[in-house]
Amino acid sequence: MNRVRRLLIASTLSITTVVSASAGADIAIVVNAGSGIDHLTRSEAVNIFMGRYRKLPTGNVALPIDSSSLKARFYRALVNKDLAEINSYWARLVFSGEASPPQQIASSEDVHQLVTQNMNALSYVDSAHVPDDMHVVLTLGE
Amino acid sequence: MPRLLLLLHTRLALRTTAIILLIVTLLGVIFLVLAVYLRAESVQEEQQSRIQELLTTVERTAQIGCFLGDRHLAQEVADGLLSNNIVSAVSIDTSDGTTLAGGRADPAGESASSVIHDVYSPFEPGTSVCEITVEPDQAYIDELVAQASYFIGGALLLQLIGIGLCVVVVVAKFVTRPITGLSHRLSELEAETGQQLQAPKGNRDDEIGQLVLSVNAMIDNLVQSLSEERRLRLEREIEERRYRAIFDNVEAGIFELDGDDLIRSANPAFRRLFGMPGETDLERHPVAFASLVSGSESISDSKDMAQAFVIDNVVREQERQWEIALGDGDQQRWISLILSPLETGRLQGVAHDVTERKRAADAAEQMAMTDPLTGLGNRRGFDHRLAVMARHRRLYPERCHAVITLDFDHFKQINDTYGHQFGDRALNHVGAILADLVRQRDYVARLGGDEFVVLLEGCSERCDVEPILTRFLESLRTPLKVREGTEIVISVSIGIAMLGLDTDDPQQAMRFSDIAMYAAKRAGRSTWRFYEPVSMA
Repeated sequence: MNRVRRLLIASTLSITTVVSASAGADIAIVVNAGSGIDHLTRSEAVNIFMGRYRKLPTGNVALPIDSSSLKARFYRALVNKDLAEINSYWARLVFSGEASPPQQIASSEDVHQLVTQNMNALSYVDSAHVPDDMHVVLTLGE
Repeated sequence: MPRLLLLLHTRLALRTTAIILLIVTLLGVIFLVLAVYLRAESVQEEQQSRIQELLTTVERTAQIGCFLGDRHLAQEVADGLLSNNIVSAVSIDTSDGTTLAGGRADPAGESASSVIHDVYSPFEPGTSVCEITVEPDQAYIDELVAQASYFIGGALLLQLIGIGLCVVVVVAKFVTRPITGLSHRLSELEAETGQQLQAPKGNRDDEIGQLVLSVNAMIDNLVQSLSEERRLRLEREIEERRYRAIFDNVEAGIFELDGDDLIRSANPAFRRLFGMPGETDLERHPVAFASLVSGSESISDSKDMAQAFVIDNVVREQERQWEIALGDGDQQRWISLILSPLETGRLQGVAHDVTERKRAADAAEQMAMTDPLTGLGNRRGFDHRLAVMARHRRLYPERCHAVITLDFDHFKQINDTYGHQFGDRALNHVGAILADLVRQRDYVARLGGDEFVVLLEGCSERCDVEPILTRFLESLRTPLKVREGTEIVISVSIGIAMLGLDTDDPQQAMRFSDIAMYAAKRAGRSTWRFYEPVSMA
């Protein structure tokens, strides 16, 4: 819990700098290079990140990860919604337990580490700075 | 029910109201049906739109529930929808046909046309994730419609009652009451006194006023004809009394005959004239007119007595007059009868006793035609008789008559010798002998001086005349005593002409007998001569 709060504060602090720094770039959805997933449709991406699909096309349980620094841009690009809407969406589902929100990771390094270490993890990065050890399955234009 | 029918039949206001109410009710029912139908339509639409609104309200939750296939969330949505009383059943189905959630409020409720709503993914607007089927509660809708119908029906009923009351009041006030008042006044009106009907106030210029005017005009006519009738009746009574007075008291007999010639009425004078008992009831025992006059003689026209009183059609159409004689001798009465038609088949007769006049006229005529000295006919009488004979000859031309002229021989000498008084006696003497010799129907006249004429009727031959003349001359041979110791024998010359043998003209016969008389004188007097055309010419 402690870590989550810290992450949230950090992401909130960094939003403005990240947005201003990476303005103009697209967002790329990335997976572990060995995951075996070559490509995702936009719909598959929505279903996975919004909790509808729990499994990847490969059949493994999906592990979506929200990158706090890019979260606002990502959801705007993916479902054209702001964070308040996304938060209220998940808030409705908290008690039903049917679906759970993606894991929240504050730093992009942690995201990078999680994705490269976990075969089923998927997240997003600025398309301009995609590391080589990540596989881009979908690029969302802004 | 019969009482209601009677009321409707006798009350104008009620009848009018009933008819208007009937029409209004009919229209109202049509209107109500239409209104209920429209109301039902609009309620249906209203419910549909309400359901749509409800669905809009729960859409976001439904989207999420459907998106995630979250049964709890979907059930939440379905329960929320079912909590509305307009929803009877809800079913949330995903695109692949599985039912996420559902429910039914009233299991027995009938289903109406359901509303199907597509739910799209909250993140991908074009992607349908599931379908919500909502069935509206028809019972509830029906109830709403029924409520609306009750309201409209109630309003209509109130309106109906209002209209009915208004019509009753208006008709009663503006039509029935004036008419009732009029009828009441009309029944109390003494129309024969000329009293007029008054129009009710405020109705003077409308139809009721016109009705009153018409009734008044009728009353006027009635009064006029009544008074006219009364006047005529009075006049008739006076006329009747006048006639009765005349009828009863006049000297002339007045009577009426019907189509069968029976006397229907007769006044006292008539009864006296014809010797009828005064108390005979002619109405009950009519007397035939012919029976009263039978045996009488008529001197009307030259008609037979038998026909005189056959009151034929000619008589029935125009006025006729007779004079008839009743009784014989001194008791004989002459009555003048005038019959004039009264109406078809009825005759009125007037009978006058003309005996006195008749007798006076007869006496005067007799006197005018009589020689005062001898009591025989005079020249005037002879001329009259000759004229009668002429008429008689026209009727019976085969009958012959003798015209005998007698003239005294030397009458002037007798007069001069013995005086006129003896002359007159001599004339009387000869006249008496002649009157004794001839029959009733023959005629003897002294034409003047010593000239006598005798008409013998029905002498077909000369030999019929001769015995009379022989007897005459024999009678003359008896001397006539002038005074004590003096007697004379009168001699007469006689000429005879035969009317029908010698001539057909009476005047001519008269002349011929004159000529024959002179021939007798020439033959030595105191003899007779027949007219001989050849020798005497």
